[in-house]
Amino acid sequence: MKSDKKYPKFIRWFLKRPKTTGFITFLFLSYVACFIVSQQYKLIKEDEQREMNNILNVVHQNIEQALKNCYTTTLTLALTINDKGIPENFDYVSEKLMESNHNINAVQLVPNGIIKYIYPLNGNEAALNLNILTTPNLKKEALKSIAKKKMYFAGPFELKQGGLGIVGRFPVFQNNKFWGFSAVIIKLENFLKASGIKNVDDSKYYFQFSKYNIEEQKEIFYLTNKSDFSKNYYISTDIPDGDWKIYLISKNKNYLYSQIFIPGIIGIILAALFGILIYTLLKIPRELQSLVTTQATKLLNSEIKFQAIFDQAAVGIAHIDSFTGDFIEINNQYCQLLGYSQQEMKERNFQSVTHPEELEEDLMNLEKLRNGKIKDYSMEKRYFTKSGAIVWANLTVSPLFKKNKKVSTHISIVEDISLKKESEKLIKKSEIRFKSLFEDSPIPLWEEDFSEVKNYLQELNLIYESPETVAIYFKTHPDVVEKCISLVRIIDLNAMCLDLHKVKTKKELILGLSQIIDKDSIPDFTKQLIAVTQGQKQLIIDTKIKNSQGEYRDVNLRWNVIRGYEKSLGRIIISTEDITDRKYSEKIILNSQKRVESLINTIDGIVWECDSSSFTFNFISQKVENILGYTPEEWLENPTFWQDHIYSEDREWVRNYCMIKTNDNLDHDFEYRMVAKNGSIVWLRDIVNIVIENGKAVSLRGIMIDVTKTKEAEKDLNDSFNLVKEQNKRLLNFSYIVSHNLRSHTSNIASIVALIESSETEEEKEQLIELLKTVSCSLNETMLHLNEVINIRTNIGLVSELLNLEQYIITVKNVLSEQIASHEVIILTEIPKDTMINYNPAYLESVLYNIISNSIRYKHPSRKAIITIKFLIENDMKVLQISDNGIGIDLVRNADKIFGMYKTFSNNLDSKGIGLFITKNQIDAMGGNITVESEPNVGTTFKIYIQ
Amino acid sequence: MTKKIIWVIDDDAIYQIIVNKIIQRSEMFSAVFSFKNGRIAIDALQETLENETALPDIILLDINMPIMDGWEFMEELALMKSKFNKQITVYIVSSSISIEDKNRSKTYADILGYLSKPVTINDLVLIASND
Repeated sequence: MKSDKKYPKFIRWFLKRPKTTGFITFLFLSYVACFIVSQQYKLIKEDEQREMNNILNVVHQNIEQALKNCYTTTLTLALTINDKGIPENFDYVSEKLMESNHNINAVQLVPNGIIKYIYPLNGNEAALNLNILTTPNLKKEALKSIAKKKMYFAGPFELKQGGLGIVGRFPVFQNNKFWGFSAVIIKLENFLKASGIKNVDDSKYYFQFSKYNIEEQKEIFYLTNKSDFSKNYYISTDIPDGDWKIYLISKNKNYLYSQIFIPGIIGIILAALFGILIYTLLKIPRELQSLVTTQATKLLNSEIKFQAIFDQAAVGIAHIDSFTGDFIEINNQYCQLLGYSQQEMKERNFQSVTHPEELEEDLMNLEKLRNGKIKDYSMEKRYFTKSGAIVWANLTVSPLFKKNKKVSTHISIVEDISLKKESEKLIKKSEIRFKSLFEDSPIPLWEEDFSEVKNYLQELNLIYESPETVAIYFKTHPDVVEKCISLVRIIDLNAMCLDLHKVKTKKELILGLSQIIDKDSIPDFTKQLIAVTQGQKQLIIDTKIKNSQGEYRDVNLRWNVIRGYEKSLGRIIISTEDITDRKYSEKIILNSQKRVESLINTIDGIVWECDSSSFTFNFISQKVENILGYTPEEWLENPTFWQDHIYSEDREWVRNYCMIKTNDNLDHDFEYRMVAKNGSIVWLRDIVNIVIENGKAVSLRGIMIDVTKTKEAEKDLNDSFNLVKEQNKRLLNFSYIVSHNLRSHTSNIASIVALIESSETEEEKEQLIELLKTVSCSLNETMLHLNEVINIRTNIGLVSELLNLEQYIITVKNVLSEQIASHEVIILTEIPKDTMINYNPAYLESVLYNIISNSIRYKHPSRKAIITIKFLIENDMKVLQISDNGIGIDLVRNADKIFGMYKTFSNNLDSKGIGLFITKNQIDAMGGNITVESEPNVGTTFKIYIQ
Repeated sequence: MTKKIIWVIDDDAIYQIIVNKIIQRSEMFSAVFSFKNGRIAIDALQETLENETALPDIILLDINMPIMDGWEFMEELALMKSKFNKQITVYIVSSSISIEDKNRSKTYADILGYLSKPVTINDLVLIASND
């Protein structure tokens, strides 16, 4: 700011704006550079133009000279023409002329436009006798020179004799009458050589030679150069003798620019550099200036900030006189803490508000601080508030040094720690409570420090290795385990620990784990180490300890990391509950359980227990494997195993029965079949007890006994009972036969005899005797029938053999052929060919005869009798089925009589009631059975079961 | 005393002859009719329903017969009973000595007695005079 005043106003303006100044400098210097360069450019350009003009002038003059020489030559040649119009000494003159003018390649005389004379002829024969006034490309220029009566140079064009050339034609007139031309031929090469074009420095310029072609309206260039030179700098001159134009062209089209461009660029760069330099130089003081301003602002801000902090801080801050203790400055928080206003506080010193118990310490510290013995101090102390209450605060005091380094004031910061003190008090209380809990716990408790163990294991890189790896490591490194034992620090233990280990004082145990851990319990300690490596916070194991008297005690060890020490493992609570007694009783229970189990397994039945609602088994004794073949595991694995393996026919009713009984809380005892593992069917008697708790069935217990053998015996018994019953029935029937049938005869005899005795006439007597004979015959018949039946029943000497069923049917049909024919009976046989059955031949014939003859006898009167004989298999039994469409039998009435003796159901005279009785007896004797199905007026079907 | 009408229902032809002779000798009955089984007897009853005097007073009934046996006859008779106002007394005459049959006969109110064959003249006299 001061420096500004040293300079005039406008300079100050510049000094303030380094960018603008730098830019203006740059612009100014650039202008100067441009000016110089443009001047330079002008000079160079003028130089070049001058040089080019000189060159072109020289060339022009040379050409002019050459053309003049040609003119002279043609004129001279024309002079050789005599008055008759014939040249004289043409060759000689020509030779001389050619010697004097080297540029000329040939001379000609062309009377009337026809080339007649050429020198030298050698090499130019092609042009001889050419009429140039009729040749199209030559005609025009030739006529032009005639018209002008002046020499005119035609070409350049392609010469007849070869090569590019120009021809200068001089029109010759005799007596004002056109005679012809005197001409010179110059090869273009020679012409250019003569012009001096070839001598010009071709690094800088080049020439172009052109003629304006009037016919084609365009300029034709003859030199093989870059034809388009319009962009290059060039100058030109006209040669009227041939209507030619010569150009001199500067080769480097940007040549001049390059000459000025580089200096121009350099100039601008220099100007820019200079501008930047100026800018940089001017900027430095400005930056310094702004730095100063920023620093000042910062200072001001921090002062404000500091003031704000001081006023609004959440802690009390005060500036205190180190000697008197007066408050020089004090913030609101401090005042609020003690309940005074700022003004009140400034009238006091800290001694007056400090609790006497801490005052001495406070003063002592202050003294030290003043003497420079300490740099600062902090302490917890009590203050009195305005209302006389006590406030706990944390005081931090640091000195404010002055220049002479003597402390005269200090800053004290107070923080209300009443709450902290309060909670500390609570913590202490809970600590005490914990301590007493710990100490008075009925379970032995240990407080141990595992941090060194963890560090050690960390060094060994065992933390978070897989438990298996760690276990193997510990197994192979017992020294590491021992080291770990020694690293465990016992912090504290309670009275129960002394009890457990049978020692008097804590000192005996607190020395270290190595004394306590017995060899046998090292594997259990290793488990703790594995827990440490896995970051576990808890471990519960059953282990053993050996107390000081050498006794082993079983303990339940619980290893718990105290919250907050999970990382360091600095505090771990271990409880070692003595479970020796419990273990002992457990063992007793286990033994009795084993005993019960072995007892259960000796029972010859499956002992089981299941849920009362789902029938899911939760216990089944080993016996199940003996009885049903399933292992208990198989059985218990599937919740519905029992239900699934009940024999299909029994499953439904067993389940329903069990549900009903269980619902009614009734113990039950029932029998059913189950499918054993080998597929056989086993009869079980299940004796079920319902276990009731609170009036509700909770589970079912029972025993399944294999009763298959009993069942089989029962069945046998049943079968034989049925047999006996049947035989009894037959016996009864037989007794009826005897009692009824024989009695009817005997009673008849008795009656007749009585009648004979009392008869009065001989005639009557004879009549009665005749009757007696009839009765005797009937009796005899009955006796024969009975004999036959008895024979069947006794079943002795009964031979069975394989018989062809069809064969026997045919035999019976033959026997009955007369009846079949007379009644027009149709017999249909549906029997597989060669069906063989094992039967007694006589019985088979008798059975077939009886049934078929019955069917014929009881045919329906209003339709033809059709008898169908079928052979089929029913329930593994061979069945011979004989059906008819006869009158049928009312089975509702006669079911029990049909196979009885002398049971007849019609008034048919042939009915004796013996055929079916015998048939039935014969079939029974063969171990078979006969059944009948019939409907009156529809027909009857007999089924003969063959064993 | 008017002589009674007696019907004999039995399938044994010889017995029929014998019993006829005995009835004739007893001289207690005005008429004897023989029937081969219950069905024929029932049909005959049906026919004589109008003619009260032709209806039997006593029926000697066999048990074992084809078509309709004695018991079935008794059932049919019970259904018809209301249609005639004559008291018909039935006696079972059977060669069977089975207690079953005897007991069964007692269940029918209309059966007055059970006679085992052979039937004697005395039996018939007793029957005839049993009213």
